[in-house]
Amino acid sequence: MISDRLKRNLKKEFRNSLLAKVGVFLMLLVVLSATFAPLLAPHNPTQTNPEQAQLPPLGFESERETSEFVDGEVQTVSRSVEGSMEHPMGTDAVGRDMASRILYGARTSLLVGLIGSAVAAITGVTVGLTAGYYGGRIDDGLMRFADVMLAFPSLVLAVALVGLLGPLTVPIPDPFVTAGLADGMPETFVFPVTVTLVVALVNWVWFARIARGEALSLRQEEYVKAARSMGASDGRIILRHVLPNSFTPILVLATIQVAAIILLESALSFLGFSGTNLSWGFDIAQGRNYLATSWWIASIPGLAIVAAVIGINLIGDWLRDALDPGIEGESGGM
Amino acid sequence: MVDDDIPSTVATSEEDLLRVEDLETRFFTEEGQVNAVDGVSFAVRESDVFGIVGESGSGKSVTALSLLDLVESPGRITGGHIWYRNADLAEEHRERTPEAVDGDFVDVLQLSEGQRRALRGPSFSMIFQDAMSAFNPSLTVGEQIAEAVEVQRRAEANPRSVRSKTQGYGLGSYLSGLVLPQRDFVNRQSKLEAIELLEKVGIPDPAERADEYPSQFSGGMLQRAMIAMALAGEPDVLVADEPTTALDVTIQAQILNLLKDLQAETDMSIVLITHNLGVVARMCDRVGVMYAGEIVERGTLEDVFDDPVHPYTQGLLGSVPDLDRPGDRLHPIKGNVPDLIDSHMDDRCYFADRCPKAMERCLDPPGERQVGGEHAARCVLVDGEYDESEALADGYFEGSTAGDAAASEGSTADAAAEEATSDD
Amino acid sequence: MSLAKFLVRRSLQGLFVIWGVVTAVFMLRFVTPGSPVDFVAPLDASPELRARIAAELGLDQPMYIQYLDYLWGLLQLDMGYSYISSTPAAARVFARLPATIELAVAATVVAIVFSIPLGVISATNRHEPADYAATGFSLVGISTPNFWLGIMLVLLVSVQLGWFPTGRRAIGFWPAVQLIWQEGTLAGIVVWLRYITLPAITLGTYFTALITRLTRSGMLDELGKEYVRAARAKGLPETLVRYKHALRNTLIPIITILGLQLGTLIGGAVITEAVFTWPGLGTLVIDAINSRDWPIIQGSLIVIGAGFVIVNTIVDGLYAYINPQVVYE
Repeated sequence: MISDRLKRNLKKEFRNSLLAKVGVFLMLLVVLSATFAPLLAPHNPTQTNPEQAQLPPLGFESERETSEFVDGEVQTVSRSVEGSMEHPMGTDAVGRDMASRILYGARTSLLVGLIGSAVAAITGVTVGLTAGYYGGRIDDGLMRFADVMLAFPSLVLAVALVGLLGPLTVPIPDPFVTAGLADGMPETFVFPVTVTLVVALVNWVWFARIARGEALSLRQEEYVKAARSMGASDGRIILRHVLPNSFTPILVLATIQVAAIILLESALSFLGFSGTNLSWGFDIAQGRNYLATSWWIASIPGLAIVAAVIGINLIGDWLRDALDPGIEGESGGM
Repeated sequence: MVDDDIPSTVATSEEDLLRVEDLETRFFTEEGQVNAVDGVSFAVRESDVFGIVGESGSGKSVTALSLLDLVESPGRITGGHIWYRNADLAEEHRERTPEAVDGDFVDVLQLSEGQRRALRGPSFSMIFQDAMSAFNPSLTVGEQIAEAVEVQRRAEANPRSVRSKTQGYGLGSYLSGLVLPQRDFVNRQSKLEAIELLEKVGIPDPAERADEYPSQFSGGMLQRAMIAMALAGEPDVLVADEPTTALDVTIQAQILNLLKDLQAETDMSIVLITHNLGVVARMCDRVGVMYAGEIVERGTLEDVFDDPVHPYTQGLLGSVPDLDRPGDRLHPIKGNVPDLIDSHMDDRCYFADRCPKAMERCLDPPGERQVGGEHAARCVLVDGEYDESEALADGYFEGSTAGDAAASEGSTADAAAEEATSDD
Repeated sequence: MSLAKFLVRRSLQGLFVIWGVVTAVFMLRFVTPGSPVDFVAPLDASPELRARIAAELGLDQPMYIQYLDYLWGLLQLDMGYSYISSTPAAARVFARLPATIELAVAATVVAIVFSIPLGVISATNRHEPADYAATGFSLVGISTPNFWLGIMLVLLVSVQLGWFPTGRRAIGFWPAVQLIWQEGTLAGIVVWLRYITLPAITLGTYFTALITRLTRSGMLDELGKEYVRAARAKGLPETLVRYKHALRNTLIPIITILGLQLGTLIGGAVITEAVFTWPGLGTLVIDAINSRDWPIIQGSLIVIGAGFVIVNTIVDGLYAYINPQVVYE
């Protein structure tokens, strides 16, 4: 699927481009955080602790008003709280450790992003290749359907679908906890199924368009005609000839789509439609109510999203520059 | 670097309009420094056609772009002088930049960027190889020619010295021109003149054609339109870079005739860049032969064509199919033009590796030597006959120079094929 | 094919897609779990009461009858009555439309005003600090979720500096303009501007970044072309070389991409409205989804989808108009 020449280009472009290195670094950071969250997290991310609520990140101070008994009566006392190593990114409104939540949030973002993009790619590529390869009525019908899909802004459609279908989630047992390597961490990881399917559903059209374009042009190629004249079945031709040749643009699009889907997932969580509460978007929504007193609750998860999405976008740029599939512009976004 | 021993002297003449001295243009690429133009000197007389001829990759097109200061990053003109005779311009600069003025001549390269830019159009103009890509596809042909007319009109209206970097036409003017037609850069008069120009270069129905887009023109017609665009400024020097290469043979002849006629009419000088010796013979009064970024031989057309001294020129002339003697085999020169990357270039005659008469003396860089009159060549053979006892051994350069190695990957096969056909 | 013919065909295509949108939105209710009656009826409603409510809402009819009824109503701009407030859905949807349009237009203006000069500066000063700054900005801009950006703007600009008000807009654009000639005061516009600034920046940043990126790479392509060299060779002022020649050809493909990105703009508007409690279609549709107020959900989605198709058709027409090269396929 990727020829030696493309591999050489990828390596060369990687050597020459600082941005590609930054992208891979950020992506590695996110992947490692997501994978080893139970081992890395200093606390259970779902463990509330009112005593420790709204602690600022390490190196910051925060004024806090508390009610205390002073000389036998309740008084409002203003106290200065300092961040500590105990909670390097501070704690949220109910005392959950922000650093642990950021690490676990990477899991949600990455899983939804990767699986969502993969489902969208498989669906879109199947539809697009079929439409482009057979042409005619099938093509017309599928593409008109795609037009209707495109007429809904993906976020609006996603909000409507998730909001109306309801958030279905599946608890996945955490292998590290099962193996006894991470005691005290959540035993299961909540995977938001509806959100993943919906983000795939609203994004498959982009893949369908590209795959269709590739199939349309490849259908005219001599070697495809030759394969057909030798009696190869349609399915075989599509799998053996058409798909490998449209692989590069689809790979680049899939990469960009991971970024777009992470943004979309965070927006859905922000609006309260996701079904999991271990998500960066969810934390931003929570922190929004404490802007005046605890700025970090809303800020830090946002920085995590920006870092992850920048990383993926940079990798997308790197792939695009190295493989040059000729995709104009970007798609999706949020 | 090459001319330390013998300073290059351009045979000066009263009639010179342009004197190029030791022009150097380099490209600073990832693979290294490319010396595309490496100490080129020549003179162009008034109402003369000067031809620059060479293979592709010899630096002739970069020379053309350097004359108009159109070399773009990563390229840069790194040295030399372009003396341009213009009494008004000399007067204007005599006080402020005396070092840039010599009599009536002004060294264009010592002027500021804005001043050089102001020379484009009214003083220097250029026609390009491929008219289809030299026109903006989304503006009408008439509009684009009218722009050139307008540049000339505004140049006449303003003294050269007050023209700023934007020539008095900044972003504000452009934006207001989008809204108010009367503030547009191009006025009605210029549009009418553009139509006249189209008529002058032989385009039928010029008024209608002026409103068409480049894609609606045929190749030959568009080439004519480009000539009209270049002539709009009534330039003193027209640089024509392969003006007919992209056209088929009958249209080539028409375009060359048109250029000749227009030159006779306007008295401009033409610098004609081409790889086609037939075009040179037909058009030029004087000619310079370029090889590896240098002019290896120059003189009048007769000097160079009838009495070539440099083995490269001889080889080049030998490779022209002679229509009168169809039985003659073609004699292409063995090997390829070096890639001009500085680190690959040994300090020697750059042609020595392909030269049938290479001698030990050729391992030193040859300066330019006068053959007689205006005729000069960068070759030791000017000093004396080929001496077989000093000849370099066959295969002397093989594998020894990086230049060959770099150039060889794609070209050895071609070279070998050529050898096979020419060694009969 | 002539331009007029192309426009007619494109409009018919648009109408077809709008019909598809209406059908899809209508179908949405039938694939959603739960009956609308569950949300409208009291929890302890008797089966008789539930049946009466269903009949009142027209839900007892076969699906195709309901569909035809709905289509017929739409043609007369009747979207039914809100289940919650019993007001006409169309009136509520259209009352919210101006706020969303204002937000989207303001964000587009912000994007165009900043992005095109940024892109041009970036391309014409390649590998210089200005280029790195613009490239860096656009990378961060396309990677930042706009709801978070909005919250950060509120945190920094409103909470910390107190410069702009937060919260829902105080006055619409049209009433503000009317104030100018009725009362001769600009106060209305000033208030409008103060309220729309942060939402417009929030929604516009992604597009500013995106268009900057596209303009930069497009300009770099165009500036390397021979016609730019030819324009310089004839002595054309650099301003015209850049803006009239190169930028023109850069913007032609960008317009198409922007047409495709319009959905992103509307989607972004929905969430920006949620951040700033902006009284537009976005907040309306989210509230309606949470309370399963179907007439409102359907009405808003149809207006959003149809608006998208209409604007896209206009963009296509514009594209055909400014680009003489266009092939009307």
